[in-house]
Amino acid sequence: MDAVILEFVSCCRANGMRISTAETLDCLAQLNMAGPLNEQIFYTVLKANFAKSRREQDGFSRLYRLFFHDMKKGLPKAGEATDDSGEPLIDAPDLDHRLRQMVEQGEYAPGGTEQALLAFMAGEPRAFVEAVREIHDQETRVAGAVKSNLGQLTGRLEIMLAANRVRQQVPRFLGSMEGVPDEDQEALLQQAGQRLDRALAFLNEEPAPDNPGLVRTGETEQRFSHLGNIPFANLTRDETARVQDVIDQWVRKMEDVATLRFAAARKGAVDVKRTIQRSTRYLGVPVEIVRKDRPLRKGKIVTLCDVSGSVWSTARFMLNILYSLQACFARVKSHVFIDCPLEVTGLFLAHEANTAVKKILNDDRINYNARTDYGLTFQKFRDDHLSDLDKKTTLIIMGDGRSNYFNPREPVLELLRERCRRLVWLNPESRRFWGTGDSEMLRYRRYCNDARPCGNLNQLLAFIQDLVL
Amino acid sequence: MVFSSVSDVQGRLEAKGYIPSREIATIVFLAQEAEKPVLVEGPAGVGKTELAKSISLCLDREMIRLQCYEGLDESKALYEWAYAKQLLYTQMLKEKISGIVSPEASLAKAVDEIAQHEDAFFSDRFIQTRPLLAAISSPEPVVLLIDEVDKSDPEFEAFLLELLSDFQVTIPELGTVRANTRPFVFLTSNNYRDMSDALKRRCIHIYIDYPDMETEKRIIARKLPGISERLLDQVAATVAGIRELDLKKRPCISETLDWAKSLMILGTDHLTPEDLDRTLNTLCKHRADYGVVRSRLRELVMA
Repeated sequence: MDAVILEFVSCCRANGMRISTAETLDCLAQLNMAGPLNEQIFYTVLKANFAKSRREQDGFSRLYRLFFHDMKKGLPKAGEATDDSGEPLIDAPDLDHRLRQMVEQGEYAPGGTEQALLAFMAGEPRAFVEAVREIHDQETRVAGAVKSNLGQLTGRLEIMLAANRVRQQVPRFLGSMEGVPDEDQEALLQQAGQRLDRALAFLNEEPAPDNPGLVRTGETEQRFSHLGNIPFANLTRDETARVQDVIDQWVRKMEDVATLRFAAARKGAVDVKRTIQRSTRYLGVPVEIVRKDRPLRKGKIVTLCDVSGSVWSTARFMLNILYSLQACFARVKSHVFIDCPLEVTGLFLAHEANTAVKKILNDDRINYNARTDYGLTFQKFRDDHLSDLDKKTTLIIMGDGRSNYFNPREPVLELLRERCRRLVWLNPESRRFWGTGDSEMLRYRRYCNDARPCGNLNQLLAFIQDLVL
Repeated sequence: MVFSSVSDVQGRLEAKGYIPSREIATIVFLAQEAEKPVLVEGPAGVGKTELAKSISLCLDREMIRLQCYEGLDESKALYEWAYAKQLLYTQMLKEKISGIVSPEASLAKAVDEIAQHEDAFFSDRFIQTRPLLAAISSPEPVVLLIDEVDKSDPEFEAFLLELLSDFQVTIPELGTVRANTRPFVFLTSNNYRDMSDALKRRCIHIYIDYPDMETEKRIIARKLPGISERLLDQVAATVAGIRELDLKKRPCISETLDWAKSLMILGTDHLTPEDLDRTLNTLCKHRADYGVVRSRLRELVMA
């Protein structure tokens, strides 16, 4: 049994799950305690030890099904096993053995797609799972100015072509074997075909993790009935000035509230040194007990703002507020992007927010003619700024998620989420439009801790209040 | 008093009023056998804390609870020196010093003589135990519940690692304190943030979701024995329907119980959309959610 579990673990790892040796040992020990005969218990033990968050559980169940059901691994031997229609199957180890022979005798490139497929059919799915995972994670190299999504497609096509080749080769190989009766050969072929179909089905499934931690935000409070509901993109010059006034007023109010809150936090442990120092005033009697100030932890903020079109009109107000409220945060770093992130923290620190916004719009480092590409932005952000993220950082991404059908690269976003405390996505579009056209919002939402529409004053103020208090 | 099998866990938990799924029972049994902490995740109000409480009742162990929050540190979770008491004692014992130090001793010798007594001030007498230290130094085994661990800071999470893997903590002045008996540890998390791999590695993980309709019916019937069969079916079906909606906060088990109870108090035997409308504030706790539910009263109740 140990060997089967180890093989399953290596298959899970190939699919990108992080399973430590200690967890494998725990799992084996627990299986010995609970007994591996009851499948429900067996499944529970494996899940409890290998998939330690809700988001991993779907991927885990999928692999479990593949490994222990579809591949008929470690299940009863020939004669007892039946397929869905109730027909007895050919001895599975026999087919495994023959397929392995085929790998050995055929001239396949080691580590190649055909070999991975044949190994999958022979009951060792690791290499194939890894190949599929690579396709999902693939980072297309950008060659010159031409960008495309073809990388993933080529990867898939390659596997499908390899599958076709294998489909043709298997009958030829099995036919050339001696000592196999015709009727058995027929069944073996059918069985091999089914396994190949399963491999292709696995290729085409899209992993879609459940995201129970996603904060649900319903309607926001209507602070300002008229001004608060106009989308930022539609504000007239006059209204913009009024919104700015409202924001300034509100920022001052927030600062007061936050200061009070920090003042109330002075109730830490006794500061022995200072208490003794003070006690000398009273002949060594500690009349005054001094406590250490322990200011509430201030969060760090990293923002990533899309500066194209409608999004920017919202982002500028948000940046404006965040920098006005700097006292409430330990650090605010901001980046803007169209197809690659550019850090603009310096501009906001050196200038007043509105001037900084103007400077950004005239910044020649930003290519305003480029087409928005979220996937590439995330990838570059990861390469250059990953060290900015830690478990105290809230990453705020502001954008409509419209990525011009470029590769969305959500695994990169997943990595960013794992690195920071919270990942919040603010989308100026209302929920109705998420996922329509080239919007990748529904896909990205799976990796966010909070994804909410934020296109007018009411929504923005509600969000910032949640963030500060 | 320990659990002897998975069915034993299930039976005894049910006897104490907690209805566990087979999965929960399996995990609890394994955690006991492997002496591992259990990390319980799930939405608010599905009975994560209740599970730990029921286990402590079943095993007849004391439950020690540590509620985590932002800014929780070792002095609140583990121990603190009773500084005021120490200072008071120093003042009271001031005169005693002349008795300890012989009058003709040199300064260096006097310091040595006092140093022999310094342990008196860093001893169990002056230590204030907080939940974690109380749990591991207890002579009787206890159930330790570390509630909402996701609300604590990353520093505190790192500090928990030593405790959870070796059941020991280090106090600089006293040395390492090892657990006399291993506590049965539960950590609960609402998924506010992801826990670190290091912490997860030390625990057995379980995700508790909202109960399915049948389990919920059993829970309601168990807690409110007087409820009629017809109302029970309707309540369970309506709540299941409401949970499907896109709400800010979905009703949890205790809210279902509150609602069923208020319906019984109002003498409802057959649920109508008007009844749901009248009693909605026991189920929904956000103004925005009222609107969503009110717009579908009829279809929710009729389903």
